[in-house]
Amino acid sequence: MNIYMKLTLTINNKHTNLEVEPNMPLLWLIRDEVNLKGTKFGCGKAQCGACSLYVDGDLIRSCSYPSQMANNKKITTIEGLSEDEKHLHPIQQAWLDIQVPQCGYCQSGFMMAAAKLLEENPNPTVDDIKNGISNICRCGTHPRIIKAILLAAKLKNDGKH
Amino acid sequence: MENTDKINKKRFSRRNFLAISGSGLAGALALLYFGRVPIRRKISDFTSEMEIAADVSNLDPKLWFELNADNTITLKSPKVEMGQGIFTGFAMLAAEELDFQLDKIKVVHANSKNGVLSNTGVSNSTSSFYVIIREVAATLRETLKLQASKIWNVPITNISTKDGMLIAGDKKISYADLAKQITKWEIAEKPALRPTSTFKYVGKEQKRIDLPDKILGKPIYGIDTTLPDMVYGVALYSPYFNGKLKSVDTNNAKNTEGVLKVLEEKEWIGVVAKTRYAAESAIEKITADWDYDPNINTKSIEKLMTVGNGNEVNIQNDGDTDKVSSEAITGEYRTPIGFHACLEPSLVVADFKDNKLTLYTSFQNPDYIKTAVSEALDIDKKNIEIMPAYLGGGFGRKAFKSNVVEAVKLSKAVGKPVHLLYTRQQEFQNGYVRPNTHHVLKGKLGNDGKILAFEHDIATGPMGFKALPSIAETILGADFVVAGHGSRCAYRIPNIKTTVWHNNLPFETSMWRGVGMFANTFAIESFIDELAHKAGVNPLKFRIDHCDDTPQLARRKKLLEILSEKSGWNLSKPTDIGRGLAVCDDRKTISAAVVEMKIIDGAIKILRVIHAIDPGKIINPDGIRQQVEGATMMAISASLYERGTIENGQFEQTNFHNYKVVRLSDTPEIEVILHEGSEIPTGVGEPPISPIAPAIANAVFNLTGKRLRALPLQEAFQKS
Repeated sequence: MNIYMKLTLTINNKHTNLEVEPNMPLLWLIRDEVNLKGTKFGCGKAQCGACSLYVDGDLIRSCSYPSQMANNKKITTIEGLSEDEKHLHPIQQAWLDIQVPQCGYCQSGFMMAAAKLLEENPNPTVDDIKNGISNICRCGTHPRIIKAILLAAKLKNDGKH
Repeated sequence: MENTDKINKKRFSRRNFLAISGSGLAGALALLYFGRVPIRRKISDFTSEMEIAADVSNLDPKLWFELNADNTITLKSPKVEMGQGIFTGFAMLAAEELDFQLDKIKVVHANSKNGVLSNTGVSNSTSSFYVIIREVAATLRETLKLQASKIWNVPITNISTKDGMLIAGDKKISYADLAKQITKWEIAEKPALRPTSTFKYVGKEQKRIDLPDKILGKPIYGIDTTLPDMVYGVALYSPYFNGKLKSVDTNNAKNTEGVLKVLEEKEWIGVVAKTRYAAESAIEKITADWDYDPNINTKSIEKLMTVGNGNEVNIQNDGDTDKVSSEAITGEYRTPIGFHACLEPSLVVADFKDNKLTLYTSFQNPDYIKTAVSEALDIDKKNIEIMPAYLGGGFGRKAFKSNVVEAVKLSKAVGKPVHLLYTRQQEFQNGYVRPNTHHVLKGKLGNDGKILAFEHDIATGPMGFKALPSIAETILGADFVVAGHGSRCAYRIPNIKTTVWHNNLPFETSMWRGVGMFANTFAIESFIDELAHKAGVNPLKFRIDHCDDTPQLARRKKLLEILSEKSGWNLSKPTDIGRGLAVCDDRKTISAAVVEMKIIDGAIKILRVIHAIDPGKIINPDGIRQQVEGATMMAISASLYERGTIENGQFEQTNFHNYKVVRLSDTPEIEVILHEGSEIPTGVGEPPISPIAPAIANAVFNLTGKRLRALPLQEAFQKS
């Protein structure tokens, strides 16, 4: 019995054909089959947001998202957030400018959520940010995350990025 | 024989005794094992004052540095980077002594094949390596000068260095170009260190050198390890404390597509598969019955952990608290079980081949896993290599217990490298926790309104014994060194007594960021607030009134004065805002915080935290600010929300839906004030976590008149 399923995905603008268990969480597909390690495992139950990425532009928690649901869809991970490593996304630039990460493990998920928040709300207030992202950070980078999102909004609106 | 005395004396020199890497302390304690009570007090006196020395001795620069062809230098860090910014701090210190541009120094983790490894923890990465890193870097600089003097045939005293260049008159060569010409290295004698007044980088804001990789999602963490032919493991453990496997059925697991091996061991079952999903699916198909004690619950554990139970060890008895008459004021405090909940669960990639073992892992304590594997599986330590990686959080959780033995057994069983990761549920139920504590405090005020006598009895469990041979437990009687850390009231009080009641718990307990200081500061600094109110004295002034001119108390006093001014402690505030403060002295770093809060919808809401820290010598100011902000947030989490509970012989917490931690919505304004109060760095990872809980509780009292004597405070407030 063949339990595997053929999937066609576009990951960070790259076409990829894979054969995997259809219910394998998209997180394991991205990390182990495609070898993109920036998306992290934190809880396995969509509680912490460390595994956040985009499927057809929607922010999802990939630890609880069956791979087959992503078939024929476009996936963006932290590695694809910016054009390339020289031209950072305003969120990544702000994260560097404000020196946000400590251990850094949850930050991919936070940056994906923050970039999406800015897409939907280009001028968020502090309360918009506090209520708009529910990811978990254990090092306590929260104050800097808020500052960095405000800065990123400015960078984006100024057209510097 | 005649030298024995000398050697023994040498071994007992302060510096050596301080290197309590394990056997050293136990050996020393064994010799001291007579007249237990006074000796225990002496050990307590000693350990509460001690500086923790570095646990490395090999200072050969070749093991620490690599000179690269592009005239950059790679520093192989003996400490792991777990978010504390140590790579940046080490690079800064090395740059000063090497006379090298900071942005041309790369830092990587040393591994057991190419460098020197050290344990990472107890906030000592900077303090214990502050001199060593500079010594090794200075030795490398002098070694290069020595080689240049030979090649150029000029006296070494005529050679100077500047930004990675060696210079003698009109002769000039880069470190890298010189290194290319050297076939046989002659290492220079250990030179004198440069005076700190010449420092170019230390004390100034530096961007962290690990952040570019972190914002790009580079594969730098232990969990990201990938090896050719690697397969995935998942283990099944008892969800109950000390569960014994009664019966197990693994047939359905074995028949799962993609499964390579099901290994049934006495206390766990392991599955190895081609994908992690296949291994996870197979594990779910296993039915296991466990023998366990269903009568263990939160109530029974709190009852056990009560002053009066367990082994009583008096660690401090200054003056005479018994003879002090007048009515005592008493306060009884409790703190709960705490989980680390690092976002990256514990993991290891084990590669066992031809009787040689290589372990890839994000772990704080390489020596511990090496010993654990060597003892459990009878593998010679010489045949075990450790390859450290970045940690996705540590906080003490990655210092001891790990799944390394299971990973090695699975790798042996399938003949391939196995990536074994704890599930989130296992991280809660099968790791170790911060023990719950109980505190009874008694205070007596004198006619002058100052504290005449102070007594603290604390009941706690072991935190530090995992780091010591088992004999230490017998000799010490209680873990007053680690779990009792901070149990002695630091203020100048004429009569003072501290007693630790030691209780072993039916689950594993150990280090959690701040160790005993977190619980003890909550109890002591809340109770000091109670006494201040009883005495009718401003709580900040009351604290200053109990500081004398001894070095640590003088620093505490100074920091409290700074905090008072910067926080506007004495300024008026709206009537719906509560303001409280607390201070602690942790490994010679002083940390003091003022908290302002409100009650919104019946719950405590933190609005503003002003956190002042005196960490001694400041290396990277922004690195310290990060640690203080982070510790403040983690402390708000642990103070307001976090509580491990037990029912039916197991932890009830299985994931973040039933272990609430802070989110962005909990973020107050945080202002960090740095004050360099001494010439040596004293550590910042843990100290700022401890003043927050009592500062919040004192603020709640200030606003509502309700004294909260148990963590988590949100729950205590709702019950009040």
